[in-house]
Amino acid sequence: MLEFVVISTLNGLIFGMLLFMVSSGLTLVFGMMGIVNFAHASFYMLGAYFGYAITKHFGFWWGLVVGPLAVALIGVAIERFLLRPVARFGHAHQILVTFGSVFIIRELVMLFFGRFSVPYQIPQSLHFSLFSIFGTAYPFYRLLMGGVSIVMFGLLFALLRWTRTGIVVRAAVHLPEMAEALGHNVPLVFTLVFGVGAWLAGVAGALGGAFFTTAPNLGLELGVIVFVIVVVGGLGSLPGAFIASLLIGLINSFSVGFDVSLADAAALIGLGSWAQAIGGLMILKLSSVAGSMPIVIMLIVLLLRPAGLMGERS
Amino acid sequence: VKRIGSLALLLAILVLLPLFAPGSWVLVLSKVLIAALFALAFNLLSGQAGMLSFGHAAYYAVGAFATLHLMLAAEHGWKVATPLLPAAGALAGLVVGALCGVFATLRSGVYFSMITLAIAELFYSLAPNLSGAFGGEAGLSSMRMPWLALDFSSDAQVYYLILAWSVGATAGLYFFTLTPFGRLTLALRENEQRVRFLGYDTYRTKIVIFTLSAMVAGLAGGLLAVAEESANYVLFETDASASVVLYAFVGGAGVFLGPALGALLLTVLSYAVSDVTTMLPFYQGVVFILVMVFAPSGIGGVIASHGAPVRGGWWPRLIAPYLFSLIPAAALTFSLIVAIELLQRFFSLAYADQLIAGGAYPPVQFAGRAWYPFSAVTWLAPIGSAVLGIALLRPSIRFVCRAWDPEAL
Repeated sequence: MLEFVVISTLNGLIFGMLLFMVSSGLTLVFGMMGIVNFAHASFYMLGAYFGYAITKHFGFWWGLVVGPLAVALIGVAIERFLLRPVARFGHAHQILVTFGSVFIIRELVMLFFGRFSVPYQIPQSLHFSLFSIFGTAYPFYRLLMGGVSIVMFGLLFALLRWTRTGIVVRAAVHLPEMAEALGHNVPLVFTLVFGVGAWLAGVAGALGGAFFTTAPNLGLELGVIVFVIVVVGGLGSLPGAFIASLLIGLINSFSVGFDVSLADAAALIGLGSWAQAIGGLMILKLSSVAGSMPIVIMLIVLLLRPAGLMGERS
Repeated sequence: VKRIGSLALLLAILVLLPLFAPGSWVLVLSKVLIAALFALAFNLLSGQAGMLSFGHAAYYAVGAFATLHLMLAAEHGWKVATPLLPAAGALAGLVVGALCGVFATLRSGVYFSMITLAIAELFYSLAPNLSGAFGGEAGLSSMRMPWLALDFSSDAQVYYLILAWSVGATAGLYFFTLTPFGRLTLALRENEQRVRFLGYDTYRTKIVIFTLSAMVAGLAGGLLAVAEESANYVLFETDASASVVLYAFVGGAGVFLGPALGALLLTVLSYAVSDVTTMLPFYQGVVFILVMVFAPSGIGGVIASHGAPVRGGWWPRLIAPYLFSLIPAAALTFSLIVAIELLQRFFSLAYADQLIAGGAYPPVQFAGRAWYPFSAVTWLAPIGSAVLGIALLRPSIRFVCRAWDPEAL
């Protein structure tokens, strides 16, 4: 039991850090532009596919560096050539454009890489275990993912906290009009933040894609998880996104390991056989619906605290 | 009076169309009607109330499954009139919509969109696990039972059943927009806070609108179940939710029948080209983005905006600029299609199988021509026409703008 708890906690925290690399960009962009970029998780997917393509020809580290930069360029292009022209028609139009981009990006990825997942794998040189706990070797690569995420988070924090650009970005997040009135080039800052957000998601993709699967549906599947994170954490709040990312990461890794169902829970209060008889939803094992757990958590949070954990009341 | 006349004409066309359409197209027409009704239901929520739902497939699919369950029950001896089967879909849409609406309408704006998307994804991930309700991965299938003199074995009979339901539901949706509550729906889109200050309970209003929209979506799903006699969990896919967004906004969310127009154009397009290309979702996405960027009110909105020139009698001066702007449009379309189709063929698995190590790269067939991957013609054709199109794009836009408003520029 202790073994399960420790390993699940480690895995969950590291997965959560990876999720935070994706959700932080989304929440920053929302704070500034007031829109949610539905194609944000597609940037993760692009990072993974670019990483795969570059790894095949030049090696893993090149993929990790160049892939995310290419993703950042695509992000900048989307902001500049698609989102900015429709900004005058309102936020709903911008959201619709990003929603449409999800499907265009997916189709293009399928065009070049096929409809099924690609064999993007971690390089042999990184395929070793750093230490072993409870007799199982813990893969070094997981720690590398966690480490890179922490470094990225530190960089982002330092940039926002201690540099002049960071101050302008934070000002533009809170009061875009005021920042513009003070003579800062807010549209440029928008593009910059959009690009950095895409780059972060791309780094997460190039790293995580090699460990998890890299498939064309990732943009939608991961997208839903990331939206749950920002709804739970409260849009526009970085600390909220951080807490929610870790929470969802932990829930994800723990629920895979639990073979319990609602009927088992009902048995605790003496309704076990009744619940078994109902069947359907009641006897589904938690482990087989682990993917839906984040959404259930979101619904609960919505009922209890509609603004999200750290969000402002709307 | 003129309006009633044109509506009667439209209805007459819809009634007479199956008599003239070739056999397999009757089924396509049924699909068009279903898609149009689904798009109108979606538009009640997203276009009129301003709540963008990215998960409307959930209620559509629930309606389809509820109707199928009723059909299965009818097979086992229940006395159910076949024409009334889709009502089960509407009822299921109503119940599930009310339940989900309670959650989704807790937040507005972009939160609402994300929550609806997540709820639909919840259904999609649970459905294959629930074999009782949704038939697992295989899905459910059933048969239409005969009723009175009708045996519902021909496509035409099914078409008229669907036509009756969708015309009735569309009329209902239209008259809803005329009621005071329907006006409140529009007010909610324009300024929610103000509606609240006027003393209305906006949360409850939103739940009611959400439920109504889900009910009609469920009805559309029920009609689909009657037409297809089967359904599986793929109906819950995000792609289904996305296609209804496409219908509504390509057709024009601001015009009542706009979404139906979008559904008609995109459904017919998808049937027409499904044998020719595998990249249809890509083209649909491109059309959607182009409409969003260049004609934000959709095709229906563009048509509606031509009322003024036609009435004012100055429409002839629009002809020349429109003809001129066809040149860049055609050039860019040609360039995109050639480039995408060639890339698709060069990167396909079938092409990879043809490659012999060290050998020459074989050509691919497209539009009755062999294209070699490293010949100049192959890439000059799309690039050249793209350059031409981009060069003429701005002048043609300026030309059109000047025709609309000679004072400007």
